[in-house]
Amino acid sequence: MTTTEFLSLIKSRGATIFPVAQNVNLSIVNTNLQNMRVAILQPFMIDLYNNCSGITLGSACIFGPSEIDRGIKYPLPSLEKINHDMTGNKNLFGKTVFGRNDLFWFAFDVNGTCFMLDNLTLSVLRKYDDPYRAMIDCLIVGKI
Amino acid sequence: MQLNKNTALERLGTLGMDDMPVMEYTPKRSALAPDWFKKYCELRREFLSSLTDCMEEIAFMNMSQNDFMNLMMGRELPENLSIRFKIPLLWGGELKIDNMFLCMTFPVSYNLDRFIIDQSDANTVFLPDPKKKIYLTTHTGGGGVGGNAASDRLSQSAFNFMSGRGNE
Repeated sequence: MTTTEFLSLIKSRGATIFPVAQNVNLSIVNTNLQNMRVAILQPFMIDLYNNCSGITLGSACIFGPSEIDRGIKYPLPSLEKINHDMTGNKNLFGKTVFGRNDLFWFAFDVNGTCFMLDNLTLSVLRKYDDPYRAMIDCLIVGKI
Repeated sequence: MQLNKNTALERLGTLGMDDMPVMEYTPKRSALAPDWFKKYCELRREFLSSLTDCMEEIAFMNMSQNDFMNLMMGRELPENLSIRFKIPLLWGGELKIDNMFLCMTFPVSYNLDRFIIDQSDANTVFLPDPKKKIYLTTHTGGGGVGGNAASDRLSQSAFNFMSGRGNE
């Protein structure tokens, strides 16, 4: 699956795809992630951020490289903010959180492997070799 | 991190939920039934349909007409709203409406996740225990005391807005 196919699929399920943020430098995001001792953006995330700056579907979301203004709704925090909030959690060592829904959190590691984490202890429930499968599982729970 | 009631309330205060009641609970690790997800989906719809007795809270949620109707009819959950369990299923919570509440995804549900994750290695945990089916923080629900007694201009404006007055 490619990023375009993924976006097309998730849009057909009713997801809101936010347009690419013009003033975001992904190298700076990577530097900040490195300083937090978490995984830097993997190729699939860079590709995603070149096509959009975040996705929401109901209560599920994929965080973007910058905070997303949603009008009267509370803004969607950035990937950096989320990972900064979670700094120090031993179950997240080496992993970067990229999405969440009402039941699970989702993260990737430095090898590009994605993980479904439980939302109580952040322990790994499932591993994904296909990052798009992980992103679909993350978003689809937002609209059940 | 093992909290006590005071530190739990203090932590919730720093997360912007100083009016959230808590209950002390000893997690009972339990396996989920094979059909839990199907039951969970059905229960979410049932829960949404049961919200008609929370009109006051819904009125404060500042929703569009479409979102309001979808919520009231139990069709779908509007964006940025989450249904949470008071006692999580994996810790022995039951799949029942009494064990559920509705709140905003950001910042409330996200911060409640953080509050619970912080206690993940504790023997007894403090869990959010809102008294109504919908939890709105006081910061969301009202504009403070309003009028000349308000502590700042924003609170005063919010109060004026809520009471249907102009801002002059």
